[in-house]
Amino acid sequence: MTASLLKNPELQFGATTFFAKEHKGETCGSNGLPLTPNSIIIYGKAQKLKMLKHPNLCTYLDIIRGKHERTVIVSQYCGEPLSSYLGKERFSYDDIKKIAYKIFLALHYMHMKKIVHRSLSTENILVQENNNIKLFNYGLFYMTDNGKLVSFPIVQLSYAAPEVYLDGPNGSLSNPKVDVWSAGIILAELVLNKPLWQSLKVGQRIRKVLSLVQGNTSIFERIAREHNCYDIYLSVPSDLKQIIEVCLTIMPCDRPTVQIILKNEVFAQFKTAKESNRRKIYEPFEQFTIEELYHWWQLAGGDVLLELKKQGLIRSSPPILSLPQMVLIDGLILGQERNPATLYDSRIIQMPLEALYQRFEHISLNCYYPLIHVKSEILSNGNDSSYDAEQLPLVIREKDPEYQFHRVILLRRLLHGYPHTRDLIITESIKDIPPLLRGKIWAALLNVRGDYQEEYIKIDKETPTPTDRQIEVDIPRCHQYNELLSSSEGHRKLKRVLKAWIYKNSQYVYWQGLDSLTAPFLFLNFNDEAKAFACLSKFIPKYLHNFFLRDNSAVIHEYLAKFSQLIAFQDPVLANHLENINFIPELFAIPWFLTMFSHVFPLHKIFHLWDRLLLGDSSFPLHVGLSILTQLRDTLLASGFNECILLFSDLPEVDMEQCVNFSLETYSTTPKSITARTQQSEKCVYVTTMGIPAQDLNKEKFPRISVDDVVNLIRNDSERIIIIDIRNPTQYARSSAKGSINIPCSSITFGEVNIENVGMHSSLLKNNKDKIVVIIGTEETNLDLFPTFLIHCNIPKVCVLHGGFNSLLPVTPTILITQNQI
Amino acid sequence: MEETEVFNYKYKNDPLVSVSFPITIPNFESLEELSRILLLKNNLPIYVSLDLTHQLHQFIDDFNLNYYDKRTTKLLQDFKNLPVIEDITKEWDKLIKEETVEYGDRRCASDEELFGTAYHKLVHSPALETMLQLECMYAISVRERVNEKDFQIKSLSEKQTEEMSKAVDKLEEGITELDINEMAARHFDDQSFLRVQLTSELETIKETQRREYREWLMQMLEESQANNSLSVTKTSPLLPCIPSQLFCSVQHNHNQHQASILEESFTIHLGSQLKQMHNIRILSADVMDLCAIQENEHLADTTPQLLQTALGLYSNDLCGLVLMTDNVIGSRLSKDFTEICQRTTEFHFPYVDDQLERISSTLQKYQADNASRIASSKNLQTGDVYITRHSNLAQVHVIFHMVCDDSLYGNDINSRHPVVLGLRNMLKSACSNDVTFLTIPLLLQYEMSEGMTVTWCTKRAELVFKCVKGFMIEMASWGGSDLKNLQFLLPKGISSDVFQSLTTMLPNIFKVSNPVILKSNP
Repeated sequence: MTASLLKNPELQFGATTFFAKEHKGETCGSNGLPLTPNSIIIYGKAQKLKMLKHPNLCTYLDIIRGKHERTVIVSQYCGEPLSSYLGKERFSYDDIKKIAYKIFLALHYMHMKKIVHRSLSTENILVQENNNIKLFNYGLFYMTDNGKLVSFPIVQLSYAAPEVYLDGPNGSLSNPKVDVWSAGIILAELVLNKPLWQSLKVGQRIRKVLSLVQGNTSIFERIAREHNCYDIYLSVPSDLKQIIEVCLTIMPCDRPTVQIILKNEVFAQFKTAKESNRRKIYEPFEQFTIEELYHWWQLAGGDVLLELKKQGLIRSSPPILSLPQMVLIDGLILGQERNPATLYDSRIIQMPLEALYQRFEHISLNCYYPLIHVKSEILSNGNDSSYDAEQLPLVIREKDPEYQFHRVILLRRLLHGYPHTRDLIITESIKDIPPLLRGKIWAALLNVRGDYQEEYIKIDKETPTPTDRQIEVDIPRCHQYNELLSSSEGHRKLKRVLKAWIYKNSQYVYWQGLDSLTAPFLFLNFNDEAKAFACLSKFIPKYLHNFFLRDNSAVIHEYLAKFSQLIAFQDPVLANHLENINFIPELFAIPWFLTMFSHVFPLHKIFHLWDRLLLGDSSFPLHVGLSILTQLRDTLLASGFNECILLFSDLPEVDMEQCVNFSLETYSTTPKSITARTQQSEKCVYVTTMGIPAQDLNKEKFPRISVDDVVNLIRNDSERIIIIDIRNPTQYARSSAKGSINIPCSSITFGEVNIENVGMHSSLLKNNKDKIVVIIGTEETNLDLFPTFLIHCNIPKVCVLHGGFNSLLPVTPTILITQNQI
Repeated sequence: MEETEVFNYKYKNDPLVSVSFPITIPNFESLEELSRILLLKNNLPIYVSLDLTHQLHQFIDDFNLNYYDKRTTKLLQDFKNLPVIEDITKEWDKLIKEETVEYGDRRCASDEELFGTAYHKLVHSPALETMLQLECMYAISVRERVNEKDFQIKSLSEKQTEEMSKAVDKLEEGITELDINEMAARHFDDQSFLRVQLTSELETIKETQRREYREWLMQMLEESQANNSLSVTKTSPLLPCIPSQLFCSVQHNHNQHQASILEESFTIHLGSQLKQMHNIRILSADVMDLCAIQENEHLADTTPQLLQTALGLYSNDLCGLVLMTDNVIGSRLSKDFTEICQRTTEFHFPYVDDQLERISSTLQKYQADNASRIASSKNLQTGDVYITRHSNLAQVHVIFHMVCDDSLYGNDINSRHPVVLGLRNMLKSACSNDVTFLTIPLLLQYEMSEGMTVTWCTKRAELVFKCVKGFMIEMASWGGSDLKNLQFLLPKGISSDVFQSLTTMLPNIFKVSNPVILKSNP
């Protein structure tokens, strides 16, 4: 009974396929780079169609690129084509008027969006069970750039307006009024209840349409006479007749636009009061839409290409039979016949949903309505029917249809309540982020607020600026393996977002890498540039504050110094090795941090990384960097300078989930004051209390820890800390921190790197694995020698108390004791 | 085609608030943004924003419509004055019939396709073994004939030589020079007669075999379909009962042959962010060894390579090989190759001679149509590639014959050399025709020659490595099939030092994938 929510007759989809035109010969674009394949241009253009939402249009769901320029379009497909009703029971005139009204509504919506249908016919008008109608496959002309990107003509024989034929197959005049003509023909067919010129051949049908141009009598009348239906013609109510006549006006300049036709009083009866004076009314919330259903269907094993193959729309002949005979030096191919499998086949293949229904059959109805704010314990326990998959690896969870079902249902609801539900979204995001909703969730995590679109519109993204040239050079090199980002639409959008950011942040400049940083946001919000821009604008101040200053050396130096210290703190062996071979972070880590790793990883890995990053603060990237080094640790330890340079010139594969988990581990075990920077935007107590001068920071191999962190550790977690007091024993005896041990600095010989020199406490240090070693001294003691020595002895987690022993004095209640007390 | 219209704006006739801005028509930009820009540039007060946007919308809508109306109406008016229905109809009619399935000519699958499908089906069934055995038997019988033919020709020439020398010895004893000449002419006639006779006999045998084989195969498919299973394999009447040795390990007497092959394999990745894996192998071998099926004492032994070729023949993973040739189609340079092709029966494609002939005629037809090319050369140009298909070679299905010239021996070829460009065209065509295993001569030579010093080899190899790498990166965006395996072939007998230096060069040019090390204790 529960699957009935899924088994909505309108929630069905089908696919069509065609081939894009191949580029002939050897041609380059104006920028000297190879031409973008036409299928990719189509892929980019068609994205906009997914945004069209209208009750009388089938929703576009997906565009898939197959091999050899094949393009597959997945779209909502439900109901019966209007053509199958023709010749059967006649529609009443009122019904025809209603259908006409709905067609014009749909066309009006499309024309408002500057999209011309051009292939309107009774085949692609679908009648629903509730007698509603939906147009199907209305974006073909638009996505193929007015037919220029495909070799087949986009035309419906009997329905095309005469000017379509006159413009020639290569013409690209896309007058929206051609759709008005087609609608007129369709209405005539409905009234006469028969398809026009059905028995005629291709050429004859075109001739028929063209011959209508000649003569001055009513076209509709002539059509009716030709089909022996003059009596019907006479009986048509005059208002309907007038609509048809006016649609079938020969001269486009005299033919009315859809907008004008809709104002005709014939349609007045269908207009509800609500529509006429409706202001912004929010759509009712739906538990899920067809996009989600399609996503689950795919996860449950649905494969569009396979289905098309199974049902015979994709035929493949063995490639060995269609090899060319020659390829000449100028790229000309001889002796290759046109493969009949690449012709345009307009069939539509319905996708079977049975497997999905079965898979989701046992899901109970209340799962569609998850309770979010539950105060009653009984209820919250009762709600525990969700699918248990949290222990599985992330990649598997992302592919599990049932798990994604629960996640998507829940997070859709939470997103609907954003910004009031932001805390809940964060809590859920810690578990994982469902890929389908990632763009929206990221925007929520980054605190993007409602009027972002208005903000974006205000920005001038067109006026040329000096940075344009650099942007234009960088964009065709930015994540180009990705279809969206390599499409011309993608290039255009990326350029606009970048220009907008520069315009908005005049204190900053364009540094190479900003393009990579923008790419993930643009990919996730391809149809909403404004949101991509808003995300970027929130992301940069949080994680890359001041990185894009014209002179960013101070920021980067501090960042990298902190990174070196973090390596020394967590992994002194590696730090020592890198220091010995002089492989400093400046040589490899700048692109990592400047682009938050988006320059070195492919998009699908960046997503998993940033899913976590967005939940952490600005120190998290340091841990990610450390985690990458840790994964390559064995190779690094075995390599010299040259090998390391070569290794990092093109970062090897990194296991992202492992990397993220390791980063989280070090992130949680490292005291925050260790990674605190002066150049961060977050308000941070340590910055004001510590403020380590830049020259000290660069000199010191070890990090400093703040008093607050030490005091906290002593009070709450004294098991995790070893305090070494390096003052002289007299001072130590007089007053020292609770639990500290005394290793007077003067008692150690530093000449030889051997931990035994420390004396009686050496084994304690030597066996230390995860306790934090805090060194306390004063200005008089040398605060450099001893910690450096410990790091050279490969002792992990060494840090120095900032401000020395004296900073512990004002702490109340005191944590100091005198040795005499014991 | 585009037009420019000037947009004039005045806010409630206020002379201070006015804008005039040229806009290209048709226009599909975001007008909200445009109105913002106008607002900023002209220092307009913010309260006109809504009105300005509204007016802009109106303006653009009107002019867009006007733009199209004007043009389409003109089309119709011209047509009304001068109806040219026929031309227009024909143009559309042709295009619609050529490009769409719905209105195009119904075409049924060709014989080739049918046979291909049948073969592919059977070869992936238990019938495979029988099929290969049969092919092997056919091959053996042809091979015997070929050997016999060679023997007969040889013995005839021996006999003739003997006769001739006897005659020459007797030159003084009554045999005149005229007689000798006559004898020589007769010998020549005999020779060619025997040759033609034997060759045509061979042709007949091959033709019969081919017909029989194809018939047998189709019959087998029918039967298996009738029985709804492919487990019952019908043996051909021709086929004597042979012990099944096909899948026994073939180890004997290949060893000394394979010992001389130097080879090394790499797994590389391309791409800076998303990494695409490819396999690369460098090996030194005789190129003909990759084509010729090893002749074997044991009757039923076929090399496993043949099995692989059979399985992949009609798949989407073809194996290709680049052969270097000169500018004559079917040139003497590829004589060795054509002989190898003729050694056994080609069951699937036209014989190699026929294929070459067809290619010549295609070229001639093209040259006749395009006068410009004739001027440059009657023959092929360096860098042109012609393609033949084969089913009876050891490791390849597709041969790319690359036309090259003597400049390849030189020391100064660069990435703009026609052969390198030809290589690119060839990779492109491999990519768009599902050739996913390709063998390329690393030095663009298959034979060692005098000028090939160590530095020459290194320089040439570097050029080819780098160019191929570039082409492969380019290929990623072509949307065809990826080259999974790339094999660089070095001439047989190259010194192991040179081989070593070339294999060490490869990781510096291609990024070699890091091995994944599994640790029990992460």
